[in-house]
Amino acid sequence: MKYAITEQCVGCHACALVCPNNAVFADPDKPQQFMIHPRRCTGCENQYDTPQCATICPVETAIVDELMIAVNPIGSLTGIVPLHVGRAQ
Amino acid sequence: MEHHVDERKSACATGANQGGSVSHLLPKEIQQQIERHPCYSKQAHQYARMHLPVAPACNIQCNYCNRKYDCSNESRPGVVSHLVDPHGALKQFRAIKKRAPNLTVVGIAGPGDALANPKATFSALKLIREADPTAQLCISTNGLMLAEYASELAAHGVHHLTITINTIDPHVAAKIYPWVYYDHQRLRGLAAAERLISNQLAGLEAAAKLGMLVKVNTVLIPGINDQHIAALSDAVKARGALLHNIMPLISAAEHGTYFGMTGQRGPTEAELTNARNASGQFMAQMTHCQQCRADAVGTLGGCGSEASDDTPATADKLVRVAVATNGEPLLSTHFGHARQFEIYQFDQASGQFYLLERRQVAQYCSGASECPEEENDKQALFNTISDCQIVLSARIGISPWRTLEQMGVTPNVDFAYQAISDALQRLARQQQPSQPQESNDEVCHY
Ligand code: SF4
Ligand code: SF4
Repeated sequence: MKYAITEQCVGCHACALVCPNNAVFADPDKPQQFMIHPRRCTGCENQYDTPQCATICPVETAIVDELMIAVNPIGSLTGIVPLHVGRAQ
Repeated sequence: MEHHVDERKSACATGANQGGSVSHLLPKEIQQQIERHPCYSKQAHQYARMHLPVAPACNIQCNYCNRKYDCSNESRPGVVSHLVDPHGALKQFRAIKKRAPNLTVVGIAGPGDALANPKATFSALKLIREADPTAQLCISTNGLMLAEYASELAAHGVHHLTITINTIDPHVAAKIYPWVYYDHQRLRGLAAAERLISNQLAGLEAAAKLGMLVKVNTVLIPGINDQHIAALSDAVKARGALLHNIMPLISAAEHGTYFGMTGQRGPTEAELTNARNASGQFMAQMTHCQQCRADAVGTLGGCGSEASDDTPATADKLVRVAVATNGEPLLSTHFGHARQFEIYQFDQASGQFYLLERRQVAQYCSGASECPEEENDKQALFNTISDCQIVLSARIGISPWRTLEQMGVTPNVDFAYQAISDALQRLARQQQPSQPQESNDEVCHY
């Protein structure tokens, strides 16, 4: 399974620092948008139990799998339920 | 920003209640080491410190932090605001040092966690140390990776260390930290809490044994950790911490943090005092902290910020100059594009300008497409520098020019594209009184 980064990314660099395959880089035009190189990403298979980028990413829905399903859905990291998320924005 | 300035004032007021200093509780040798460090000693206010924002990533989540926005509890500007790489940090350091000879302390506090970004942190430390071996280096960390890096920190000449430890009880910690990333796993709940606390305490002990001066920061969260402060203080003291800095939780709903969203309130003055007293049985208390941001530059205020309140903006004697800057050594920033202002204060005794602080602003205009219409934003920009008499920028629009003049702040574009340090020298020369003036306030220049 390969992974990708959505526009929710805040550019905190965490995923880039833990990726074992140097697959994460910042969008050259938008330093706060990170991207995953689709060829370099191995999904961390045979390296770690979980994709490392999504294991450290602090932002819900910023990392998705091939089916565009968020590895960290809303509420899963902050405990803030969707109703409140809606109100915050 | 306005918010930032308010914090400074209230922090000052709390500090003032506590009288002189914490140092009577500390051994003499350590007193001498901390007396030039503004984050440790109230007497060190004439020395400036600078925080280098080289460490974006974090390895834990705190319920008072939202990675999308500036965090007001930890020393964190928003991750995206002013990140620099280690060489950029060195450049910033050199530029500021030139203009602020009183810069003695250089720290890394974020915007994430210094030790979650070991490469950037250590390379910045190394570059600064090579550029200025006298600079005092300090690090702030959540402590998760401290045991691992303590000896490397010592080898890089880090003397001052701040660890944020909010509790030593895992059940309490589980209410503050939803997860930590450790050993390639995201730990949650009690497992996360236990891991964090045991690493923090082991790291603290290792750092203290290596001779570092360790300060513990605690965010006081009423109903969560406020009844556990004495036990915490006892435990960190036993492992070699020197100072305890208990800070009130800041949790406005608009910050979008878990505590903000769930209506968790901050402590009252009385609760804060109780907590400081509880800890005071074991450790020296630090009460003048202003929860500075990871990109903070400047002195910690003290005399200056109090005095400024009664300095009328129309005073005919120049006291403060604001410089619009986005970090360049040349005065090349358009007033409306300034992300920050460096505030310089004139010192009568030396006839020089000293860097007082750097203030962040919400941007007034970042190009036609995304001009915030909000009057508030504009007002916040003007309020940022309302206590200054002159504002230097490369250019400025006619309407902000008029607003500033009405506020008693004189816009000045005479030094456009010249070095900021030259501009300040020229202004300083204009300040020299023809006859030496009597000054009664030698103790508090700023
Ligand atoms: S899944 Fe693994 S290899 Fe792919 S980007 Fe994330 S950390 Fe790198
Ligand atoms: S960890 Fe998440 S938020 Fe941070 S840069 Fe990577 S994708 Fe973006």
